[in-house]
Amino acid sequence: MKQIYKINNNKFNSMYISINFTMKVNREELSKSALLASVMGKSCKKYKTQTEIETYLSKLYGTNFDVNVQKVGELYNIEFRLEQVNKNYLPNKTDVLENNLKFLYEIIFNPYCHENEFDKETVERERVSLLQKIMSKKDDKTAYAVYRTEQLMSNNQIAGEYLFGDEEIVKNITSLQLYKQYEKLLNDSCITVILSGNLDSYEEIDVTIDDIFRKKLESKYLFNELNINSNKNDKVEELEETSELQETNQSTLTFGMRVLNATQQDFYTLNVYNAILGSTPSSKLFQNVREKESLAYTVKSRFYRFNNIIIIYAGIQKANYEKAKKVIHEQLKQIENGEVTTEEFEAAKQSILADLLEWEDSKIAIAKMLFSNLFAFKSDNVTIQEMCEKISNVTLIDVQDIAKRIKTEHIYLLGGEADV
Amino acid sequence: MYKINAYMNEELNETTYETKLDNGLSVYICKKPGYKKKIGLFGTKYGSVINDFVDIQTKERIQVPDGIAHFLEHKLFEKEGANALDLFSKIGVSSNAYTTFDHTVYYFETCEKFQESIRLLVKLIKEPYFTDENVVKEQGIIGQEIMMGDDDPEYKVYFNSLKAMYQKNNVKIDIAGTVDSISHINKELLYTCYNTFYNLNNMFFVVVGDVDIESTIRLIEDSVNSYSNITIKEDVEVFHHEEPTEINEKEIVEKMDIYLPQIYLAYKLKVAKKEEIIKNALVADIVSQMYFSKMSGFFNEEYNKGVLVENPVLVYEGSSSFSYILLGAQTLKLEEYKKDILEYIERIKKEEVNEELFTTIKNSKIGSLVIEDDNLNSCYRRVIDSILTQTEVYEDVKILNDLTKEDVKIFLNYMTEKNRIVSVIDTKNK
Repeated sequence: MKQIYKINNNKFNSMYISINFTMKVNREELSKSALLASVMGKSCKKYKTQTEIETYLSKLYGTNFDVNVQKVGELYNIEFRLEQVNKNYLPNKTDVLENNLKFLYEIIFNPYCHENEFDKETVERERVSLLQKIMSKKDDKTAYAVYRTEQLMSNNQIAGEYLFGDEEIVKNITSLQLYKQYEKLLNDSCITVILSGNLDSYEEIDVTIDDIFRKKLESKYLFNELNINSNKNDKVEELEETSELQETNQSTLTFGMRVLNATQQDFYTLNVYNAILGSTPSSKLFQNVREKESLAYTVKSRFYRFNNIIIIYAGIQKANYEKAKKVIHEQLKQIENGEVTTEEFEAAKQSILADLLEWEDSKIAIAKMLFSNLFAFKSDNVTIQEMCEKISNVTLIDVQDIAKRIKTEHIYLLGGEADV
Repeated sequence: MYKINAYMNEELNETTYETKLDNGLSVYICKKPGYKKKIGLFGTKYGSVINDFVDIQTKERIQVPDGIAHFLEHKLFEKEGANALDLFSKIGVSSNAYTTFDHTVYYFETCEKFQESIRLLVKLIKEPYFTDENVVKEQGIIGQEIMMGDDDPEYKVYFNSLKAMYQKNNVKIDIAGTVDSISHINKELLYTCYNTFYNLNNMFFVVVGDVDIESTIRLIEDSVNSYSNITIKEDVEVFHHEEPTEINEKEIVEKMDIYLPQIYLAYKLKVAKKEEIIKNALVADIVSQMYFSKMSGFFNEEYNKGVLVENPVLVYEGSSSFSYILLGAQTLKLEEYKKDILEYIERIKKEEVNEELFTTIKNSKIGSLVIEDDNLNSCYRRVIDSILTQTEVYEDVKILNDLTKEDVKIFLNYMTEKNRIVSVIDTKNK
C-alpha cells in the first residue's frame, strides 16, 4: 500500500515534500544507514557529485533539498526532503514540481552504483565527511553532554547510539556492504510520503507522483507494524554518578531519568510533567536553579517521547555541583509530593497548548508532528484539537502519579576540573 | 492623527503597514492572512556598541561599562522579582529578548492572547524595576551566559575576527561584556541608559500576523500612552570612537579542547549607508553561492583533497558604525585551506563573472526569499533590517531584482590583503 499524506494550506507560498524510509536497525546497520544517507544525499547516477546536484537545483528557483536522518526510538529514519515555491509565486507560473519529483526519483532509485556496489570514490568521500561529524560531536559541549546521558541510559541499545554512527564501524563499511544496506532500505522500510504547505493548483499531484514513481513508493509495512521501543522500562536501576573531563570554562550537569511502565496515553501527562519541571520559563528548574539561585543560565528538561526518558541539563560552575544537584533533587521531590501551585500547573498546560496551535503555522513542523504521531501513537488521524483536549484533561493527580514512576538513573558531569 | 503608509510587495503577495504615532513611536505591521500565530516585538535602536553618549536627562556626556545594553535587556525583562519569560509563559505565550550590536528587542509569540500580550510587553518595557539585589543576582546568571560563549568555538572564532579587525569600535567586545565589566554595573547606570535609549523616538514596535491594522495600532498607542513616562521624546546623541581604516591585528589564533578547527577570513570595509548595506548582504549571499557553495569548483577540489567537508560560507554584516565580510569554514588542514582559499580569491577577482551562473543564482535567491517568507520570523527580520538601515520595507526584493554581475565584481574587489584578518580556533591536542 502507499502511504501519502497531504496537509494543504494556501497561506503558505511553498510546499514541503518529505519521503521517509523508516526501518529497524542493529548497531552495524545504523552506521551503514548513516553512511548511506550521506552518499545518497550527495550523488546519484544522473548527478554524480554535490556540484552537479546543486547546479541542477539552483535552476529550480531556490528549491532546497537534503537528506535528513533521525532516530525514532529504535528505528532509523532516512528522510529525503525538498522545499519548493508554489507555481503561483513564480514568474510566468513556472512550475518546478515535476522536475523536483523526478529529481527525488533519481536520488532515491537511481543511486551512483556500479553493478552491485556504490561508487567507491563517492563512498570514501562521504566516509571522511561522516567521520568528521562523528568526531566533532564533542565540540558542542551541551549537546555532547546530553548525548552521553542518552547513551548511559540506553543499556547498549540502539536508542543510545550516536545519530551518525560509530567511528570504528563507519571506518570499515565497504561499498558492497553499503549496497546491501541500500537494498534493505528499499525492501524493508516503512515508506511515508508527506506533502505539506500550499498545494493549490496541484490537484493532480497524486497522478504526477504515480507517473514518476510508479509502484516504487509502495510500503511493505504499515506505520503501526514497527515497534519503536522494545525496552519495557520496568526495572529500577541503581543511581550512578559519572563525570568526564574536558577543558572548559563551564561544566554541564545532567540528570537522566526513566519513566517506568509508560503507556501511550501517558504521553500527555508526561508533557505536562516535563513542562512543570523544566521545559518553560515558568518551570521549577528555571525558577529555582536559574532565577532564585543564579546557578545557571541554561537549565532545561527534555522529554523523549519515543524512549520514555527525560533528561535535565544545566550549564553550571563545577564548584556548584553539589548545590545544583541538591536544588534539582528538591524540584523533583516537590512534583512527586504534589507541591505544584495552580499557577505552575496552568502555566505548564498553557505553554503546551500554545505550542500545539503554533505547529499549524509551519508546514515543516506540522509534517513532523504527523510523522511522530504515526510511530508513537500508531495512528494517522490524531488531530491537533484532540491533542489539545487530552492535554487540558490532565490533572495534578495524574502528574503526581507519574512523578512517582520517574526514577533518576544517571547523574553526569562534563567539563572542567572533573574529579567528583 | 497619524497617517498609515502601506507597502505592498507583489513577489511575496504581502503588505506591511507603517506609521509614526504622535508619541514618537514607529509602528510596523506585516499582515499575514491565514496565520494563527502573531508576533509582537518592541525594540530600541540601542545595542552593545553604544557606551558613550549624552545622558538625556542631565545632558552630560557619560561612558558606561561594556555589556550594559545586554544587562539592561535582562533586567527589563523582569518585573518585581518575576522573570518576564515566566509572566508570558503563565498565560501560555512564549517570549524572548535579545541584544545585538545595534539594537535590542523584546518579543512574544501567541495564537490566542494577542491583546493581553501587547499590554504586558508594553508594561514590561515602560515600567523598569531595578534594585541593588536584582542587579547582583543578574551578575551571576550573565556570568554563566558569558562562560557558555567562551566554550563555543564558533562564537569564539567569530568574536576574535571582530577583535582582529577593529581597534576602537565596540563591536570587538562581547555583547554581554566581561565578568569584570558587568561587575561595575549598578541600578543608577541602568536607569540612565534606560531613560536615554528607551525613549519612544528611539524605539519601534513590529507586529507580524493576521491582525486588524487600525485597531492594533490603536491598542499599541493606548497601551503606551497609559504610562506617564512618555514625556521625553528626542533623538539621542551617541559618540563612536573614530575607527581607523586599518585592521587591528593580522591574525588571532586560539586553542580549545575541540576536534574540528574553525577558521574565519574577515575583511574590514568602509562603513556603508542605507540601501548599500542591504545590497552588500544580498550580493554576499550570491557570491557565497557562486564561488564557495557545494556547486563551486573550489569546494569540489578542496573536498576531494580532504581539506573541506562542509563548504565555506560568506556573509556580510553592516550597520551605521561597522561594515565587514566574513568567510568561515571548518577544516582539519588549516594551512592547506588558508593557502588555497587565498589563491582562489585572487583568481576569481581577476576572472570574468559568469553571466549565466549569476542569473541562475539570482533567480534561485528570489525563490529562496519566497520560501523564507513562510516563516513569520523572516518577516519581522526584514522589517527590523529596514528600520535599522532606514530603508523602505521590501527594498531587499527590489534591490535583488536589480542586481547585475558588475555588483559581484565590485564586491569581490572589496577583499584585499590589506583589510584582511585571519581568526583561527585550533585544537589543543594535536
